[in-house]
Amino acid sequence: MINNWLKIFLYQIKNNKFFTALNVLGLAMGIAGLIFAILYWNDEHSYNAWNPDKERIFYSVVDLGENKVWGASAAPVGSYLSSIPEVTEYCYMNAWYTSAVMQYKGKKAIIEKVTDAQKNFFSFFPFEFTMGNSATALQEGTVVLSEKTAKRLFGSDNPMGEVIQSGDKSFTVKGVYKLKGKSSFEPDLVTCEINPKLKEKESRWGSFSFAMLVKLKDPAKVATVQDKIEGLYYDYGTKRSAVESGISTKEYVDRYGKTKIYLESLKDLRLHSRVSDVPEGRGNYQFLLIMLGLSLLILLISIVNYVNLATANAIKRAKEVGVRKILGASKGNIVKQFVFETVLTTLFSMLLAMVIVEISLPYYNMFLGKELVIKGTQLHMQLLAVFIIIVALSGIMPAIYVSKFESINVLKGNFSRSKKGIWLRNGMLVFQFSIASFFIVGSYIVNQQVNYLGSKDLGFKGDQIIDINYRNPYDFTVDNFDKILARKYVSVKERLLSIKGVEQVSGGTFRIGGGASQQTTFTCGDKEVSLQYMIVDFDLLDLMKIKIAKGRDLSPNFASDTINSVLLNETAVKMFNLKDPVGKYVTYWDDKKFKIIGIVKDFHLNNPQDPIPPMIFSHYKTMNWMIQNTNNIYVKVNPKYMESAVAEMEELWRTVDPDYPFSYDFVDKNFARSYQSFVRQRNLFSLLNIAVIMIALFGLFALASYSIQRRMKEIAIRKTLGADTSVLLKELSKQYIIFCVVGFLIALFPVYILLDKWLDNFSYRISISVLPFIIGFVVLMALTLIVVLGRAYRATRVNVLKYLKYE
Amino acid sequence: MIKIQNLSKVFRTEEVETKALNEISLEVKQGEFVTIMGASGCGKSTLLNIVGLLDNASGGSYKLLDKEINGLSESEKSKVRKQNIGFVFQNFNLIDELSVYDNIELPLIYNNVPSGERKQRVEAIAERLAISHRLKHFPQQLSGGQQQRAAVARALVTNPKVILADEPTGNLDSKNGNEVMELLTDLHANGATILMVTHSDHDASFSQKTIFMKDGMILSEKRNSRNVDVLVSN
Repeated sequence: MINNWLKIFLYQIKNNKFFTALNVLGLAMGIAGLIFAILYWNDEHSYNAWNPDKERIFYSVVDLGENKVWGASAAPVGSYLSSIPEVTEYCYMNAWYTSAVMQYKGKKAIIEKVTDAQKNFFSFFPFEFTMGNSATALQEGTVVLSEKTAKRLFGSDNPMGEVIQSGDKSFTVKGVYKLKGKSSFEPDLVTCEINPKLKEKESRWGSFSFAMLVKLKDPAKVATVQDKIEGLYYDYGTKRSAVESGISTKEYVDRYGKTKIYLESLKDLRLHSRVSDVPEGRGNYQFLLIMLGLSLLILLISIVNYVNLATANAIKRAKEVGVRKILGASKGNIVKQFVFETVLTTLFSMLLAMVIVEISLPYYNMFLGKELVIKGTQLHMQLLAVFIIIVALSGIMPAIYVSKFESINVLKGNFSRSKKGIWLRNGMLVFQFSIASFFIVGSYIVNQQVNYLGSKDLGFKGDQIIDINYRNPYDFTVDNFDKILARKYVSVKERLLSIKGVEQVSGGTFRIGGGASQQTTFTCGDKEVSLQYMIVDFDLLDLMKIKIAKGRDLSPNFASDTINSVLLNETAVKMFNLKDPVGKYVTYWDDKKFKIIGIVKDFHLNNPQDPIPPMIFSHYKTMNWMIQNTNNIYVKVNPKYMESAVAEMEELWRTVDPDYPFSYDFVDKNFARSYQSFVRQRNLFSLLNIAVIMIALFGLFALASYSIQRRMKEIAIRKTLGADTSVLLKELSKQYIIFCVVGFLIALFPVYILLDKWLDNFSYRISISVLPFIIGFVVLMALTLIVVLGRAYRATRVNVLKYLKYE
Repeated sequence: MIKIQNLSKVFRTEEVETKALNEISLEVKQGEFVTIMGASGCGKSTLLNIVGLLDNASGGSYKLLDKEINGLSESEKSKVRKQNIGFVFQNFNLIDELSVYDNIELPLIYNNVPSGERKQRVEAIAERLAISHRLKHFPQQLSGGQQQRAAVARALVTNPKVILADEPTGNLDSKNGNEVMELLTDLHANGATILMVTHSDHDASFSQKTIFMKDGMILSEKRNSRNVDVLVSN
């Protein structure tokens, strides 16, 4: 039986090479898209999945109102957690990686991902220890290394008990672990130096500087624990602050808000966290859903294509089916035969899809910034499921349709004009038109928005300005460390200025396209606003061509500018609700007063899609210790000397920072990177757009071919009766134009809703105009007409006799 | 073998009701060779389709091998058909995409005959019908007579109890037509039960009994003499 089926199948392929190829290709494209989406999905969902306690471990996130939501905790709260019986354990750590130069027997290595945590870190991230004891390895003065790091530092030597050096500190290696899978923390090296820092801030309930994980006995009790921790902040933080400010607790809460705590489970931290405050960051869940949704749509459209073609083609095979039934085939048998064919086609497509994925995976990884690989039983199971679903969707319907052919009608020869199943095919055609409209209009709107972001007036000029990554390491235990840092900065600045082509040099504590390193609360009158604290050197605003709206820029000519002068940006002025700000004072930490000497015109700092935050600017000498945060030195270079200047800077950097390579970028490029994910989404949408239009047009082409084929006799009769070509063309293409319009109308509403939702990602967004819809409609209609008229015109050219004689 | 009583078939459209078969009664005994003749639209093909279980009657009784057929479900009919009935059509109805061999093998596959036996039986029947050398060809590569012989081979390969032939010579020239008729006569001589529909007096003369139909009713019956057969076939 199978053999017989196979023969017919091969015969059909041989005689319909073109359609078979397009069919397989269409399906393969759809499947490949889905595989890509699945790979991405699996990767994002594998974060922390290996962690046996992922449901019991929670990350503490604080919400202070006014969008101040941080994945951070105050230092003293931990010691009070023992009063909460539901909590078994807690662990403080840095919410970011630091990098460190580690030295062993004269050999240096830069370790990029260093996590500083309390000693029970490995109880929360139970990586497999290949050497040492995970319970006791981490202590003050010891380090635990990842296998990779151990290999880099020690080669094949045994690292256990060896001492490594970082600056003037030395650490004993007490353990080596192997990273298991994706994790929110994937450190190369773990130290336990955090306790003194915690100690230093042990009474600061309002300073949220550390990440904290807690482990619960019973994850169901999370709401209770949340409330209890909130209670701790209230009792020890809010109440005391109120007493210190001399107001009632209620008044204090009314004015400054209450500290709210969320405990986010490790399981969902990657995709559903409120913040992106763990070292490995947060996944873009919305983008993931878009990817998955669009790839499902494409797969659906290619399945629809398949079903359409299969049912249309079935007419050609009606005779075969009729004869088979007369010879004893049951309905079930016919269904099996056609499902068998779908299984083979799907199998081909699946293989082809795997090839496509294999070949384009590197580009996809580049696109996502990931390192996805095709492997894992999970993926195989998913592929199997996809396979079964495709066969079920695309195979069973046409097979049942075919099996219902009445053999007697078929054999009488009047079947090919049967109207059965036409509504189904036409319905699916309309569906395809809808999806195609969705993609054309959608991708136009996405394109508009991304172009809008790209062409926005940013408020600064970043071309030809180099942003040098200035590491500026410090040790606050050294006396006068701020003076040492300031001296070093001035010397670096002077040496940079002596390079030929360098026109201006200025340092700052913020990165264009990255944000400020410090956010601090200032008060003015009874208004309290949390500002981006931008420490600058003179000239930095001028260097960036950031405009001053009122008052004046900071200048070395005024002695007060290094003591207590500040600038605010327009947003900050608005938030303080100041009428005439210049000359007024703002207060820092209840004690230090700063005089506002000018207003800076708003400019974009982080990225072009988010609102411009309120900012305050002051010279680094006004707040001595802030020099430690100066991690960016901006250099304006005459473009004529760009190449030589960069080379000289690199040379200079060998003496400035011998351990680290010179790293720099252009400010405009840095900023462009901040909205790159949207550029990627646009590119993805455009790419998928092409795929969808191709699949849809092919479907239309095939369906039009079949339906016109079916009407050849009618065409022939009309022609003999004297119909003009133009009349015939109109007759043949009329229905497709109607389908096209209907499909377009169906897509209108969803495309508007979904794209409007997408645009809400942006604080600065275009409004959806009628233009994308007009363009989408014209494009869709034009493509439809080209395909249909092309087919119809060919039909009118045929020899009339051939069709009249026959049948 | 076939016993039909008061069988009727009515086609209805919104306005008109047409009686294609009007209370027909008919019996075909085992080993008989019966021809049905009549003008276009007299209902002879409808009758044949009902006898072949391809179509349903509107009323009356149809017994095949003493088993009532009217009222059987589609799948039961399909089972009865594949075990008992072989079809020969005017336009052969061979599957163009399969070779002659595969075409003949098909009913055996559907009757779950094991593959070793299938090969034997296809080859045996092909030899009997003198198309052994054409087994690997596709239908389009054969002459009309050869195609009809292949179709007959396909109808016979399951050893059906009844052979139904719907104008088997209609698409053939007289030489090939005669060959096919001789084939049917041979089969009859070997004990096969045959019911044939035809326009041709010549073809009808090969059979034992001719039934004339008009407007859905049986007009008359005539017994043919064997002598005529011999004379013409010579």
